[in-house]
Amino acid sequence: QEITLRSADIHPDGYPTVDAVKYMGQLLSERTNGRIKIEVMNNGVLGGEKDTIEQTRFGVIDMNRVNAAPFNNLVKETMVLGMPFLFRSTEHMHNTVDGPIGDEILAAFEPHGLIGLAFYDSGARSFYTTKKPIEKLADLKGLKIRVQQSDLWIAMMQAFGANPTPMPMGEVYSSLETGVVDGAENNWPSYESARHFEVAKNYSLTEHSLNPEILVISKTSWDKLSPEDQTLLRQAAKDSVGKMRELWSAREKASEEKVRAAGANVIKVNKEEFSAAMGPVYDQFVSDPKLKDLLERVKAVK
Amino acid sequence: MRRFMRTIRPLLGALSRASLYIAGIGMVAMTLIVGWQVFARYVLNDSPSWSEPLALHLMAWFIMLGAAVGVRESVHLGLDVVRHVMKPSVQLAMDLASLGLIVVFGLAMAYYGLLLSAGTWTATIPVLGWPGGVDFFPLVVGGAMIALFAAERFIDQFLGVELAADVVVQEMA
Amino acid sequence: MAYTILFGVFTLLMLIGTPIAFCLGIASFATVLYLGLPPVVVFQQLNSGMNVFAMMAIPFFIFAGDLMVRGGIANRLIQFAAGLVGHLRGGLGQVNIVASTLFGGISGSAVADASAVGGLMIPQMAKRGYDRDYAVNVTVNAAIIALMVPPSHNMILYSIAAGGNVSVADLFTAGIIPGLLLALALMVTAYVVARRRGYPSEPFPGFAKVFYYLLASFPGIVLIGIIFGGVRSGVFTATESSCIAVLYAFLVAMLVYRELDWTGFVEAVMGAVRTTAMVLLVIGMAASFGWLMAFLQVQALMISAIGAISENPIIVLLVINIILLILGTFMDMAPMVIICTPVLLPVVKAFGIDPVHFGVVMILNAGIGLNTPPVGTVLFVGCAVGGISIREAMRTIWPFFGASIAVLMAVTYIPALSLWLPSVFK
Ligand code: NA
Ligand code: NA
Repeated sequence: QEITLRSADIHPDGYPTVDAVKYMGQLLSERTNGRIKIEVMNNGVLGGEKDTIEQTRFGVIDMNRVNAAPFNNLVKETMVLGMPFLFRSTEHMHNTVDGPIGDEILAAFEPHGLIGLAFYDSGARSFYTTKKPIEKLADLKGLKIRVQQSDLWIAMMQAFGANPTPMPMGEVYSSLETGVVDGAENNWPSYESARHFEVAKNYSLTEHSLNPEILVISKTSWDKLSPEDQTLLRQAAKDSVGKMRELWSAREKASEEKVRAAGANVIKVNKEEFSAAMGPVYDQFVSDPKLKDLLERVKAVK
Repeated sequence: MRRFMRTIRPLLGALSRASLYIAGIGMVAMTLIVGWQVFARYVLNDSPSWSEPLALHLMAWFIMLGAAVGVRESVHLGLDVVRHVMKPSVQLAMDLASLGLIVVFGLAMAYYGLLLSAGTWTATIPVLGWPGGVDFFPLVVGGAMIALFAAERFIDQFLGVELAADVVVQEMA
Repeated sequence: MAYTILFGVFTLLMLIGTPIAFCLGIASFATVLYLGLPPVVVFQQLNSGMNVFAMMAIPFFIFAGDLMVRGGIANRLIQFAAGLVGHLRGGLGQVNIVASTLFGGISGSAVADASAVGGLMIPQMAKRGYDRDYAVNVTVNAAIIALMVPPSHNMILYSIAAGGNVSVADLFTAGIIPGLLLALALMVTAYVVARRRGYPSEPFPGFAKVFYYLLASFPGIVLIGIIFGGVRSGVFTATESSCIAVLYAFLVAMLVYRELDWTGFVEAVMGAVRTTAMVLLVIGMAASFGWLMAFLQVQALMISAIGAISENPIIVLLVINIILLILGTFMDMAPMVIICTPVLLPVVKAFGIDPVHFGVVMILNAGIGLNTPPVGTVLFVGCAVGGISIREAMRTIWPFFGASIAVLMAVTYIPALSLWLPSVFK
């Protein structure tokens, strides 16, 4: 019979993650003669990422596209992907998630009621500040930097010497404007779409994290599919990755151009210096031998 | 039944007073925590990461406990335009239907709160480090108390007992 | 069928007088059971709906207002304001609106505005012979000004829901003139109603007396300065300012005026718990209801209906305003902005309407919805603070609705009211 899979996303129409899942739905529909469809419910209408993760686990919705960070406290293998300066380049990250290590991390979702389907790009995150541009590590000392409510991110900012200030995304714009915080960090598209570039003009290319996005399906919905449909679904997800990377780099470039045109001050930094400060973060979060081993294997990927 | 209600009335009264005081303490604690958050960030330049999630958790307790007491004291916001013009017997039927449904909903809140709590137990609440399921404790306790107090009022209405003196709505601020 | 259950159960329960929080919760629960979805989602959304940091401003501002009333801050402030403009007909109504506008410059929340200004003004107005329904109606309608003048979280929410292509800075600037226009319209209405009801105008007490009142009320006036200055200079956020208001009011009442004792403090705490727990529960339950509306794509259904009605932009805007006003009766502000913006914005853009302009129209619509039952958070807070029933308030709210809707129409059909100021800053 006909199956419509509902997939959640917090991003607006036209955002690469949204279009990639729609593209995957198109592929799936073509390959099953319209029998299986995907309906993307984006704009966060079904709730924030934490909410939709729970909804997917309980089988309320079928699929979900979320950043790896909100999974850290549930699937500890995802922690490795967010470690600062772990990936040498986007290519290194692609080679890691496309290979056996990627499959291993996706498989780690199953005990938690989820099936990992694919990794999507999320670009590189960099610092942006209102007053003082960050040119070297010492410039971060004592600055109030907004971070996500996450242990890893808080520890990372402490290691940089900054004063990590957890805050919901919605309050960041006005907090930057009035000076409650001195800066924040994010990728080009979010820096642009959240309009933070209007109030924090200095964008320092630290590129400290390349944490990818993850597409999952509820185990409840997965188990209802026939083995053939499961194979088709997994293949369509894998096939959407290439499309996603295309969309992502176009979007990243467009955002960068828009922000530069608006007068942002883009600063090149010596990443080595920032990376060298991350020792304590690795000691604290990659202490488990299993994670240590995973980390070493990621480093070894060409 | 009347005798049973008379016997447990002081217990229920004590429970609702205790809830109100705990909710009040929760609100004062919220004030101190958020105040500390501002002081630590601005004066000490050291933003506490635990203050926001802890204050939010206290707010959930304060809402659920305060709302349960509200069910007992019948201070909840409702539209009484239609109810107002009905015969007393119809009014009684309406009230019994409302209270009966609230009992069921309160029980559902407690039951599904437990399911949510069990299902999210393996996740960890960031910063606080508690099991994810702790997030839903206010729902479980609040739901059970809402059901209990709605049941008390249902039985009272059914028996035609006037509301006890200690549950008369206090003048609001 | 699912729509019928969601709205049918809700309406039926409302008619039999079930508390609104439970109308929303039970209707959502029934719909989820019908759809065969795991019912946990209703309670998960309830929990998330209560887990919003900005919501803390509600209990805090009510608590602060209560402390100000019991601690002697409020009556000195009102004494000063009354000395200043009390000789005008219905002067305290005018004072209330001006206070709301100033307070709106500090907070972006209409609920916080209603609880803070209402907590201060309504008891004083009642004491001086104003009817409580008038005091409540002035308060709740003036509170909407807080959404229009910056800062406004809801404008940021709109920008994000619009896909991040609308400048928050422009939206903030665009709201200023419509906000002041609303203040003016409400002041005229308050004056006319006050004349008709023959509210008192007191003799002007003389400048010496007014100066004395100013000194006596100085700690209260300083609070406005602390909040405004604190938020503007980045010491704390608008949400945190509500907590600072509590701490400051407590210290002034304890140490300066020494009018607050332990019993008064406990009563203030319990009063704030009783008043706000139920309001916050309604907001939590509304999150479940809003989730189901999004899941059932109620709004998409409405859009296809609009297209069928007309191709004329003037009519389309009118239809959209009517739809938003109707949706606003059922929905709380944030879910409404989040759910309606992505659907309606493409429609109005197709008719050549500027997204910044539409943002102001959307926020004003959703703001008016905060005062319309069955889900009218600001009206509920105002009624709770004023100690009257929603029915009593609704009986005499119409002139104020008339003024708000006149401003809404002006803002809808005269884009320059929103777009002129941002263009000056470019
Ligand atoms: Na405002
Ligand atoms: Na409403």
